[in-house]
Amino acid sequence: MIEVKDLVRQFKSGDRTIKPVNGVSFELEKGTLASIVGKSGSGKSTLLSLLGALDKPTSGDVVVDGVSLAGLPAGKLTEYRRRDIGFVFQQFNLIPNLSAVDNVMLPMEFAGMRKAARLERARSLLEQVQLDPDKQSRRINKLSGGEQQRVAIARALANEPKLILADEPTGNLDEQTGEHIIELLSSLSRNHNTTILVVTHDRSLAQKTERRFRLQQGKLTEEAVRPRVAAGA
Amino acid sequence: MSVLARSVGNAFRNKIRTAAVVAVLAVAIGLALAMLVANQAVGGKVQELNASVGTVLTVNPAGAQGFDGGGEPLTTAQTATAAAVPNVVSVVGTKALRLETATAASTTSTTGTTTQQAGPGAGPGGGTSVTTNLQAAIDAGTLGNRNNTSGSTGSGNTGTGSGSTGTAPAFSLPITATGVGAEVDTSGKALNITSGTGLGDYTVASTKALVGTTLATKNNLKAGSTFTIAGKTFTVAGIFDAGTTFGNNAVYTTLAEAQALAATPGELSSMVVTVNSMENVDAAKTALQTALGSSKADVTQGQRNLETAVSSLDSVKNISLVAFIAALGTAGLIILLIMVMLVRERRREIGVLKAIGARNRTIGLQFVLEALVLVALGSVVGAAIASFASGGIASALISSNSSTSAASQRGPGGGGFGGPGGNPFGGASQLLTSVTAIASPGVIAAGVAAVFGVAVVGALVPALLTARIRPIEVLRGE
Repeated sequence: MIEVKDLVRQFKSGDRTIKPVNGVSFELEKGTLASIVGKSGSGKSTLLSLLGALDKPTSGDVVVDGVSLAGLPAGKLTEYRRRDIGFVFQQFNLIPNLSAVDNVMLPMEFAGMRKAARLERARSLLEQVQLDPDKQSRRINKLSGGEQQRVAIARALANEPKLILADEPTGNLDEQTGEHIIELLSSLSRNHNTTILVVTHDRSLAQKTERRFRLQQGKLTEEAVRPRVAAGA
Repeated sequence: MSVLARSVGNAFRNKIRTAAVVAVLAVAIGLALAMLVANQAVGGKVQELNASVGTVLTVNPAGAQGFDGGGEPLTTAQTATAAAVPNVVSVVGTKALRLETATAASTTSTTGTTTQQAGPGAGPGGGTSVTTNLQAAIDAGTLGNRNNTSGSTGSGNTGTGSGSTGTAPAFSLPITATGVGAEVDTSGKALNITSGTGLGDYTVASTKALVGTTLATKNNLKAGSTFTIAGKTFTVAGIFDAGTTFGNNAVYTTLAEAQALAATPGELSSMVVTVNSMENVDAAKTALQTALGSSKADVTQGQRNLETAVSSLDSVKNISLVAFIAALGTAGLIILLIMVMLVRERRREIGVLKAIGARNRTIGLQFVLEALVLVALGSVVGAAIASFASGGIASALISSNSSTSAASQRGPGGGGFGGPGGNPFGGASQLLTSVTAIASPGVIAAGVAAVFGVAVVGALVPALLTARIRPIEVLRGE
């Protein structure tokens, strides 16, 4: 379970103080597929970076399965990202000179998994995200955008994280490929019982998630809660 | 894929840039290794020189040296006095003769020059001229004629101008014959006998002689051949190589024989005194001067030209060491700058690695290994460069340094026959040119190890910079 408690992140910009995240609180049950919508500059990515321990909040706390991130030293935050978080980015952020399978193996290598085990798991994950086996050993720059995003999702799942944070995962993809990606995330959420939080400005994408939040001027409001939409629906 | 495999892969991401970086590194590393090879070669030579002749003192009659100057000759009795000085391990007496070919002697007489003939004390420095049937291996040339005309040779000749500069040789150069009490040259170094044998007992009169290589060639002599000095027939026991053209235009006989030829029994031209260690040379020199008396003997430390050689070599050694350190520093700087550039270029990628759980040390290690891959490639090419170029670089360093030294040391007319320090063997230039710089595997390995050490330091700085990059970089530009 993810608990976000009165989270605040503020920046100084000249004489002004900006609060892209201003007192955000919410909870997500395990296995939930949720979304946060908002305009550009509304603070979506800042909130995501706080949840993923990429940045530190000015105040407030994020509690994951009872463990508070506030006050954790840098080393523990790295361990948290490695073990409990999976990231999916709009621009994929894969390592360009590595193959698809090598990219998926990276987080497992950082977690200390043996090479044979991580190779087997990486191939299994790439099959789950429906990447053709003959493309698994290709370099990233030889894959299409949709294929790269599938590799990114497989990488996010590598260490069986509790929470996957997806920042505009369909932003660089065409509509049909975007549909496939959100279906994939939805099925992974069900099959792996993983909590997935998608940040997007795409309302149609958000409507396919169980819980939908809106972030506006740093404040978070919940728009809708609905039963999970079956894949392909 | 391991950190090492990833580092190797990263090193070749941009092949053109990698080739350029490796080329620049190879030049710096090659230069560093070449300088190290030169440094080691010169260091070894300095050590060898210090070990072989650094403990030798030369005693000349007070006011005389070679065939120059005046005063009273040294005597055999003084060798005992010298040998009794503390820390002296050996004393070898020498007697110098000038051999003039019979035809040259008669020619110079008919042209009106006055030539010293055999006789006691005929040479001011104790040197004596006698006739021989040998032909000198060196043509007089411009220098010989000039020196002969000006009288700078100290031979006592009063030139008539017959050997003016630029004209054909008007006289034959004399040959140096030296009687020695042991199988050493006048600097105390062992004679390098290339064929035949030594003279056996050097303290007794003998009609056996050692002949320099070029003199032997000029006169078609080999071991067992005969020639005459003052009408006396000598047998060539062996051929020696002094390493110089001047030094090889010479003959060695036993000391007693040379004294007999000069009709000056008991007289010495010089004494070669060997001290037990370099630390005791100064004290022994002072004690020797006191024991022999400053009015009777001049004591000098080894050879002036050897000091020049060692000094020049020391300069080359220092220059090569500084150049090695500079080239090493340059290689380190290149690595530092390249890696800083790569870290800046890959900020986002570093952020991604941190976001997915890479530790700072893992990322730092990846960059250090990447730098070492580049250095390894640069070292391979650099070692090849060094193995081909080190000899040339060392020679260039030595020749430029020795010419500078020679110019500052040599006065007008220097280098003439019997001039100051007129030793037929060796000389600074010969010692300097005999340094051979070979890129041995050990030296190359040591140099490459130093390069890697510097590269690690150079790569650590940018590697530490990666720790300062925050994982939120990954979201920049999203």
